Amino acid sequence: MAEKRNITRLIFSISSLVDLGQEVTSAKSFNERMKTALYVVTGMFSVPKAALLVYNSNQQRLKLLTHKGLKDTTWGNIHVKAKHIKSFSKNEPYSLSKIKTNFLYNPNTEALEKFHTKTFIPLFAKDEFVGAICLGKRLSRPSYLRSEKNVLKVVANQIAITLHNSSLFRRLTNKVNENKKLYENMRHIYNDTIKAFAAAIDAKDVYTKNHSFRVAKYAVAIAGELGWKEKDVEAIYVAGLLHDIGKITIDRGVINKGEDLSVSELSEIKRHPQISYDILSKINFPWKDLVHFVKHHHERIDGRGYPDSLQGEELSDGVKILAIADAFDAMTTDRPYRKKLSLTEALHEVKKCLGTQFDRRISNVFFRVLQKEIKGETKEAQILPHLDKGFNPTVITSLLETITAELSA
Amino acid sequence: MNNFSILSKTINGIVIFLPKGYVNDLGAENLEHACEEFLSKEMKKVVINFSEIQYINSIGASIFTGIVQKIAEHNGMLCFTNMKKVHSDVFEMLGITRHVKVFKEEKDAVNFLKESN
Repeated sequence: MAEKRNITRLIFSISSLVDLGQEVTSAKSFNERMKTALYVVTGMFSVPKAALLVYNSNQQRLKLLTHKGLKDTTWGNIHVKAKHIKSFSKNEPYSLSKIKTNFLYNPNTEALEKFHTKTFIPLFAKDEFVGAICLGKRLSRPSYLRSEKNVLKVVANQIAITLHNSSLFRRLTNKVNENKKLYENMRHIYNDTIKAFAAAIDAKDVYTKNHSFRVAKYAVAIAGELGWKEKDVEAIYVAGLLHDIGKITIDRGVINKGEDLSVSELSEIKRHPQISYDILSKINFPWKDLVHFVKHHHERIDGRGYPDSLQGEELSDGVKILAIADAFDAMTTDRPYRKKLSLTEALHEVKKCLGTQFDRRISNVFFRVLQKEIKGETKEAQILPHLDKGFNPTVITSLLETITAELSA
Repeated sequence: MNNFSILSKTINGIVIFLPKGYVNDLGAENLEHACEEFLSKEMKKVVINFSEIQYINSIGASIFTGIVQKIAEHNGMLCFTNMKKVHSDVFEMLGITRHVKVFKEEKDAVNFLKESN
């Protein structure tokens, strides 16, 4: 009879340990996993009332994490000093009387009694005190057999490791969140700095106020239509903001002079993409192509651009985008040497320069995105808000349809 | 708990539960809650018919331990019936059956509770 009971006990203990292993590694929430783990323990030893406490090392307190069968859980904190922790045997069950006399002082034992504690198990993972299990009176015998104590130790160890891992994970998650926040703050500062640079660049030229912002927006619209990845779109945006940074070194008088530029003045102005490149290449941007977009934004498909007279497919898509965005904004804003063109005139001008100054494919995308913005088919218009409102949408749409049809043919 | 459900009925103030399926996770706490509900209505004579229970693990044992405790706290009476041997062996080993009356058939438990005060 006794042997049969021992076999039943052994099988039940093994299967309960398997249950515990499955529960603590399940995909359930941490609280649900810990509650279930406590239920496994209370089921194994027929304990109707129990509590699982977690240790907060900063406050040196055990706090109630989950319980089984307790009505009043308001008295949930137990102060545990470092000297008590040192004196505990790891994951060893203690009777309440032993705890009372040897370890915790009176107010704490009152709290343990409130948890109906008869057995107290301090939980340790490696050498770290992570919590405790308080087990109430058993339905069977009051004490634990040696073999039951051994099983309790195994169970306590498993729960302690789970608590410890969760605490590590929580700390790590907090750290990641802190870093994310820090990164976001730095990113804002970074973006604001770039915008400030762009404003400084545009302030140099009285005619080109907000030019860099508009070029950045137009470039983003084209890149987005092309289906670029978010990171690459960000690169073209920053390139748009900073493409004229080289103008900072050029004399304001030359920039604002107008059309009667001498050869040397023209040559000086033409240096700005190279200077932009020289300045920006000192910065370790997360986008390696950015400086190339900036350097070549005055290149032309026919090879008559500057500074390197690149042509055709030597120009990357980013360069082609920036080139049309820059030129289109120049056409649609007043310049020292001419009045701005109307939208119709600007579109005709772009069309006229296809295959010489501008790439056909990228220009077609530009026309298409403008068309979509006029029809309200985009989430957020990037080009339209910066254009004069005086144009006739029907006329422009029809014009764009004609041009895109020709380009697609 | 996808594989657990409870049917209940009352006969002459006796509450009879017929839990069905696997008593192996926290979903089975519904049985404990259902018991509490009847206890709060002063219906303290409870029968649990185990005939439709397929499996009970340690979590399930914990839930039955809780039920035993709650009925004892309310000075109620609890009977288990139609238990498979595997379940009665475990409950005996855990000391649960010391606190309940075990009957072979549900009707035996009902008759016992009808006659008891």
